[in-house]
Amino acid sequence: MVLAGGAVQRAQAGEEMKIQAILVWGTDEPKPPEGKNYKPLDEQIKKRLRALKWKNYFEVKRIDFTASTGAPKKVAVSDKCELDVQALGNSKIEVVLYGKGKEATRVKGVLPKNEILVPCGDAPNETAWLLVLKRMD
Amino acid sequence: MDDKAQLKLQAYLDGELPEGEARELATGLAQDQEAAALLAELRQTRDAIAGSEQVRALPESREFYWSKIQRAIERAEAPAPQPAGVSGWVGALRRFLVPVTGLALLVVAGFIATRGTGEPTSSLETAVSDPGALVYRDYSAGATFVWLSYPAEDDNAKQDDEALFD
Repeated sequence: MVLAGGAVQRAQAGEEMKIQAILVWGTDEPKPPEGKNYKPLDEQIKKRLRALKWKNYFEVKRIDFTASTGAPKKVAVSDKCELDVQALGNSKIEVVLYGKGKEATRVKGVLPKNEILVPCGDAPNETAWLLVLKRMD
Repeated sequence: MDDKAQLKLQAYLDGELPEGEARELATGLAQDQEAAALLAELRQTRDAIAGSEQVRALPESREFYWSKIQRAIERAEAPAPQPAGVSGWVGALRRFLVPVTGLALLVVAGFIATRGTGEPTSSLETAVSDPGALVYRDYSAGATFVWLSYPAEDDNAKQDDEALFD
């Protein structure tokens, strides 16, 4: 019993989480801005954003990575925005958002399988930016 | 005329004012044209509605109807009688076992909660360093939204639409 418990603890300590980060632009406009080839967001994910008010969501960028309980994983979402993502064990993660090189905010939460964690905020002209974090394993 | 005075007029019209107050109000009406006009309007409205109100008759008298409800409430509130034949020691044992069992279940639940049985089902323990942030959980969609105050409003003013995403 003690050995089994120890094995569980070691497994949690070395936990890895496969995560997909999708940077999304939320807007009531029917099309992305001129010159930008953002594609419409996947319907399955769009359905899960129904709590939000925007009519349309466009995928700006999609990145797959693995977060572990060791060092934080650095993820460049855009030229101006990057993340540090660290698994904390037991499906918990910590996400640090950096804007223009400075820490903007820190989010710590549980990300169970088949769920999404969405840090988001206002963008100009009554649109929104969303970072959809989805567990892939 | 304030709301309180208007309500008093309505109560007067409905015959709900105490006698003394009703007499006082009636006397005051002679000097208060506004009140008298409002009273006339209220009386007109009442008469108009009374004429067109559809009468709904209960299948039984009002008193009987409400007494049935009262009896049902009393029955629901009355303690359940002890079943016949239950001896004293069985009842005493039951009174002891029920809380002990409940306590044991709580301890087990607490143990399971702290150890974890696998995949957590709730993401409610979301912590955010942004004091202006708002966390919202959509259970049916399996989504937790963390609405941040980033970027700050003055940053927005300096950016064009694409700057956040480039």
